Amino acid sequence: MDLDKAHTLLTSKTPQFNTSSNFNQAYRQKLIENLSLDSQGRPFKIMVFRGSPKSSRKSIRFVDELRQEVAAIFEKDCKQTPYRCIPKGEKRVLDAPRLRNDYYSNIMSWGMNNMLAVALGHELYLWNSEDQAVHKLLQVRGGNDWPTSVTWSEDARTLAVGYMCSNLQLWDVESSKLIRSLQGHSGRIASTAWNGHILTSGSRDKSIINHDVRAANSLASCIKRHADEVCGLKWSTEGNRLASGGNENLLYIWEASKMSSSKFLHRLSDHCAAVKALAWCPYQNNVLASGGGLSDGCIKIWNTEKGICINNIETKAQICGLEWNRHHKEILSGHGYSIRENQNKLCLWRYPSMTKVGELGNHKSRIINLCQSPDGITVISAGADETLRFWDVFGPPTAGAGNSMVSDLQGLLSFRTSLLR
Amino acid sequence: MASRTVAKDIITLRGSAAIVSEFFGYAANSILYNRGVYPEESFAKVKKYGLPMLLTQDEEWLEAGKLQRVVMVIMSKATKEVLERWNFSIETDSDVVEKGVSREKSDREIMREIQAIMRQIASSITYLPCLDEPCVFDVLAYTDTDVPVPFTWIESDPKLIANPQMVKLHSFDTKIHKVDTLVSYKNDEWDEQ
Repeated sequence: MDLDKAHTLLTSKTPQFNTSSNFNQAYRQKLIENLSLDSQGRPFKIMVFRGSPKSSRKSIRFVDELRQEVAAIFEKDCKQTPYRCIPKGEKRVLDAPRLRNDYYSNIMSWGMNNMLAVALGHELYLWNSEDQAVHKLLQVRGGNDWPTSVTWSEDARTLAVGYMCSNLQLWDVESSKLIRSLQGHSGRIASTAWNGHILTSGSRDKSIINHDVRAANSLASCIKRHADEVCGLKWSTEGNRLASGGNENLLYIWEASKMSSSKFLHRLSDHCAAVKALAWCPYQNNVLASGGGLSDGCIKIWNTEKGICINNIETKAQICGLEWNRHHKEILSGHGYSIRENQNKLCLWRYPSMTKVGELGNHKSRIINLCQSPDGITVISAGADETLRFWDVFGPPTAGAGNSMVSDLQGLLSFRTSLLR
Repeated sequence: MASRTVAKDIITLRGSAAIVSEFFGYAANSILYNRGVYPEESFAKVKKYGLPMLLTQDEEWLEAGKLQRVVMVIMSKATKEVLERWNFSIETDSDVVEKGVSREKSDREIMREIQAIMRQIASSITYLPCLDEPCVFDVLAYTDTDVPVPFTWIESDPKLIANPQMVKLHSFDTKIHKVDTLVSYKNDEWDEQ
């Protein structure tokens, strides 16, 4: 016996004569009229409960906030794919005056020593993420030169700084001293990447140079394959492969052992704009993510063994950076200009399904660079709006709801008011 | 806790108000839990923060004899359409409010009546339509028109269901306050066929 059906048939139903909205309106009106006097003929008023008497400063009423929170948790439980709560706000915003609005530079790097190196205009600053101390490392005299590429070595003992005028310097940060100047390029150095004692630099002069920083004659190999500025450069985590992206929309994959012969492993031409954003997957060997510029806006996932594109996402916005999440299987993209969507935003994508988990971003103008903290939890976006915004978006696997809910703005720190050590 | 007189059979206005507001607490918890409005893990949070504030106000109104109804409305989170309406109507003995007399009824009997209602709420899931989508709830209070709107409440519309199905549950009576329970719900779509 179908109990539900039986019950329905037994209980009297309100016959529906008319489903027109007029009837419902009239019915509703009748109902309201009838309900304005209670059974004893007393008039009444209706109130709805809204909040705690203690909710003073916050405009969000506590009960509403609570209900939203709980409803969000419920929604999370309802969905088939697990939904991760991503922070709605930045953990921190740093003032970054004179940050150059130049798509091709890579002016930010966060080292294993917890120091963030960032080039602002003609100056290069170091920010200590442990005590938030700021220290100016260098300043370029003369108006025509400035740092265009900054990268920490893997052990964070040396900082590589590439310049507009093609100079490449190595700095020892402990002593704040210039150790070495490396020559070889004839154009600005847009990208740099370390592989142990090898420092690779990509330049506007279209070449890629590998320097062995231990040798007196540092130049180990010079590769001339790109037809335009080499704006993206990343070594794989094992150090066996190098990915280089150019302004002529090409992506090359090189093998470390075959660098001197200029023979590439793969030449990938799927992008239709400059390939600046490159990131190797931390959990799958030889999987690379690349992001295209304004006319392209695609994140492409590559199997670099076979040289094939295994996934493609159209973000419809200029991609300036890609960062893989080591704690969850996700990848974050940072965006600049767009005519349609995702402008100035950070988008989080689930891997390998490439479904969008969410988006972040309060930047008032385009994002130029992305980098992530050594512990893999925080991502910084550097924007043309002269701010560095910190997002705790990559949380560890066991993050509870509290960890990723609305974070407070922790205040502004201006580089201008820093003291020299 | 409201004070109750030592002799168990005597009920004062204050005591009755305490019983009724306590009942609302149990009923609200039970409804939210049984209807699955919130997942079980976060339930403790709702219980801890939301309801006590609500109940303190109810108790105040009950003592003044100015609370006529408490309604728990369950709505679709997405569309805000009202899916279920749990209506608790209150009849107050005005003599007690005006003259401050007390009444006689055994505590145990009142508890029995309340338990019967609680069981009915729990078993309502057998006939109430499934709440398939995420839901949120609201608590409405129908009061006398001369009651000032407290800081934590705002004036509201009744949030009715059009053409509802209604089921009347048991009532309980402290001899000072009589509470009737009625649940109305939106017709389940496939019923019409």
